[in-house]
Amino acid sequence: MQILKNKTNIDFIGKRKPALFLSTVLNLAIIVGIAAFGFNFGVDFAGGTVVEVKFDHPITAEEVRERAEKGGLPDVSVQNIGAAEENTFLLRMGGVTQLNEESGAKGKEALEALGGVRNVYSDLPNGIIRFRAAQPMDSDAIKKAVESAGIGVQEVRDLGEAQGGTGYDYQVVASGMADRVFAALNAGLEKPDFEQRRVDYVGPQVGKQLRNRGIMALLYSMVAILIYVAFRFDFKFGPGALLSMVHDVIMVAGYYLVSRREFNLTAIAALLTVVGYSVNDTIVIYDRIREDMAKYKGKPFAEVINIAINDTLGRTILTSGTTALSLIGLLIFGVGEIFDFAMAMLVGIVVGVYSTIYIASPLTIWLDERAAAKEARLRASGNMDHQQPNAA
Amino acid sequence: MDRGWWWKFGLIVAVTLGSIWFLIPTYYSLVVLDRDQRNNLAVLEERMPAWAPPAKYRLNLGLDLQGGIHMVMRVDTKTALQKRTERRAQQIVNYVNDKKLGEVTADTDPEKLEVTLTAKDPGTMDAIQKEVLATFTDFKEVSRSGASLVLVQDESQANVFRTEAVDQAMLVIRRRIDKWGVAEVDVRKLGADSIQISLPGRSNAEQAKELVGTTAQLEFRMVDDSNPQFFAQLLQATPPPAGSEITLTTEGGFPQLQAPTREAIIEYTKDKVPENRVVLTECIANPVKKNECTSYRSYLLDKNVPLTGESLASADANISQLNEPEVNISFDPAGAREFERLTEQGVGRRMAIVLDENVQTAPNINEKISGGSARITMGRMGGRTFEEWLGEAQTLALVLKAGALPAPVTVGEIRQVGASLGDELIRKGGLAAVLGLGLVILFMAIYYKASGLIADLALVLNGLLILAGLAFFNATLTLPGIAGFVLTLGVAVDANVLINERIREELGHGKSARAAVDQGYDRAFWTIFDSHVTALISAFILFFTGTGPVRGFATTLIIGLLASLFTSITVTRVIMTYFVHGRNAKIVSV
Repeated sequence: MQILKNKTNIDFIGKRKPALFLSTVLNLAIIVGIAAFGFNFGVDFAGGTVVEVKFDHPITAEEVRERAEKGGLPDVSVQNIGAAEENTFLLRMGGVTQLNEESGAKGKEALEALGGVRNVYSDLPNGIIRFRAAQPMDSDAIKKAVESAGIGVQEVRDLGEAQGGTGYDYQVVASGMADRVFAALNAGLEKPDFEQRRVDYVGPQVGKQLRNRGIMALLYSMVAILIYVAFRFDFKFGPGALLSMVHDVIMVAGYYLVSRREFNLTAIAALLTVVGYSVNDTIVIYDRIREDMAKYKGKPFAEVINIAINDTLGRTILTSGTTALSLIGLLIFGVGEIFDFAMAMLVGIVVGVYSTIYIASPLTIWLDERAAAKEARLRASGNMDHQQPNAA
Repeated sequence: MDRGWWWKFGLIVAVTLGSIWFLIPTYYSLVVLDRDQRNNLAVLEERMPAWAPPAKYRLNLGLDLQGGIHMVMRVDTKTALQKRTERRAQQIVNYVNDKKLGEVTADTDPEKLEVTLTAKDPGTMDAIQKEVLATFTDFKEVSRSGASLVLVQDESQANVFRTEAVDQAMLVIRRRIDKWGVAEVDVRKLGADSIQISLPGRSNAEQAKELVGTTAQLEFRMVDDSNPQFFAQLLQATPPPAGSEITLTTEGGFPQLQAPTREAIIEYTKDKVPENRVVLTECIANPVKKNECTSYRSYLLDKNVPLTGESLASADANISQLNEPEVNISFDPAGAREFERLTEQGVGRRMAIVLDENVQTAPNINEKISGGSARITMGRMGGRTFEEWLGEAQTLALVLKAGALPAPVTVGEIRQVGASLGDELIRKGGLAAVLGLGLVILFMAIYYKASGLIADLALVLNGLLILAGLAFFNATLTLPGIAGFVLTLGVAVDANVLINERIREELGHGKSARAAVDQGYDRAFWTIFDSHVTALISAFILFFTGTGPVRGFATTLIIGLLASLFTSITVTRVIMTYFVHGRNAKIVSV
């Protein structure tokens, strides 16, 4: 059995200009789209809280949102995950604890109203309110005061008398957003009709750090692969490989942009894997071009490349096809980020084949032609500078 | 068949059997043992046959698959360093004043960690500069003009301080977690300023916030020695509940309650102590594994906390003139006054040093101590070696510092997965892997016939090798790791596609079966090698930059790619060679 029975003889190189034009337009559109609309950053990068709940009866995302709203949580985004009959939802909101600037100010007022309280300080990143009181206070009273400001209290810490007898120190640890979500969903119910399956908090600073690290990882790996390709092949193969990698990464980023799926750490992993994988096809063809260059000496470079692409077309389709085949299970059974990962890989595999043929190879030709033209120009001008390297 | 072939064949058989052998602990831990025993190495070791590999070589399930909490805490070393600069600046000013070198004021620049000293009388500055630089060696001169001198924290010293700040925060966090009584906890450093904590099987993410909060974990409390027989009488009056295993011990020098858990003692003594008193416990460390407590002993302490770690300025372990280890501590001025008052009133009594509600030590107060400096001697040497004895002093110093100089710690991320979700993810991940790989295997067998079956065999071996490799490195299988597993095998089979296509091509050129196979492998080798190297490059970068589950993905990818070089090329070639050379097959079934 064979996919391509007879040897193909498609003029890929002849159609390189329209293809290149199309790719450039698409890529620019994606970059503009990212700048204009941005990714739908997940909590990994944006910071915030995500909880996953599974209900034991059929319910729609809209109904879940209404319930959260009734329970006093207006700014929750609710998203269905997995099959509809699984009744599983992701609830996402900004902030890690119930303590924010607004509620912290209210909490401060409420505490000061108790009398003798001073030095109230809201430690927002950690969700802790610290203060000093003139006399020992009752933990329950403190808890009530803070809760009246709309901040759930997890714990009141009695730190004892401050040194020098200047007062008594207390800390109030605010509950996390997750608790508030569960409480809101639970409001008015005897016992919860849902199961708490997963909680993710990511602090805002960590989110920024993770995002920067992800971008750096992408750049590092592209540079490292470029160095390897330049080292293993001729230098003129380098730019083609690099540009096709960049193309593939932008296209896969385009998947996350257009689908509005969450862009998170797994998405970075998908992009990195695409970088490592898409260059594989490029290498298969480069290897063949190098082999054919020795075999067909005298033929124009563009023609040699066309032969190489046609010769390897069958195996390029096959290798990409088998990899895509292995992803089918993940596409069917994967939910959430794993589904997105498989989908992004699929996009990466398809555009990887395309970019090898229409970007990596033409760019190599173009560089070759430019070098040849430069050499010819030098000869014509009679400049016989021997330091000029021979680009052939 | 030549000798080289037999060697390779032997290697393949050995690798196959070896990887199956290495998967025995994984099989027992995931299939044979009950889920709550899954991570219990002792039980695992007991159940496995004697010839199995050590239990530690097993594939762990990631927290996303078995349920649990993954946390990253960030240590704010920058703030800590700024505070330290301010403290040191004040010390410099005090030093100059004490030595009567002149009169200076100090300004600190928190961004650059610089201290600017300005002398009232410019004439004194030369002497001050010389003395200060000779004494405060952690500072370097930046510039000097007339009456002002700019100093900066020495970078290497600052780095040492940063590392220490993270180590101390780690110690504090570990002790606070120990208080929860969690069996398996993994606390490790992540990068320069973060601490990663894994708590398998835990489900209360809210509790994690107890780990942050930076003040007053360290307390100095007076021990109530007014009735040394307090615990003995208590035990006589009220027998402890059955099963609590509370006993009386005098090993500590006076009667104390002893129990295997902290809760047992706290529960039992609740509401049974005099007013303004509180019972706290001391952890008796396991002599082998220092991080575990074999038992807990009770102390009756004053409820009032007169002095906290905030007042502590420094703590260092030293060896005294009598060649005994001791810990030297010093307080800030306010703390020094309070400490003097306490020791004056408490001569003959004991003062407990309490860190996060755990009594660390309770030295005797021998005399009134003024001046804000004190020595804690480490008691009798007993059965300890000198190194152990000194080690205890160093640990105590670190504990004291941990309470005294904490860099602020903030919650970076908390990821918590419920156990039922974990089970579902394992099931779905397994189904996805079986379906995806089944399709690939089927396709190869149909498309390449016998050669496809050989590639399939290699694929199965590759899968085995990945699992065994993960088990050998004691790596963790995460949900993205399962995706990585599937994807790696999908990529691995590419190598066989390349080889088989090349063989077809060579056969098309009219070559003999033998020549076609040999050339197919030779020509395809470098292509396969190059594509594996590029994939490995991005996998390694992902490994070094990723955290948690994503790192599990990268690990799987790396092991899979390395294994694939062996299975896709060597293994299939040995089998193919057997047919075309050994059996002299004239037709290659591709």
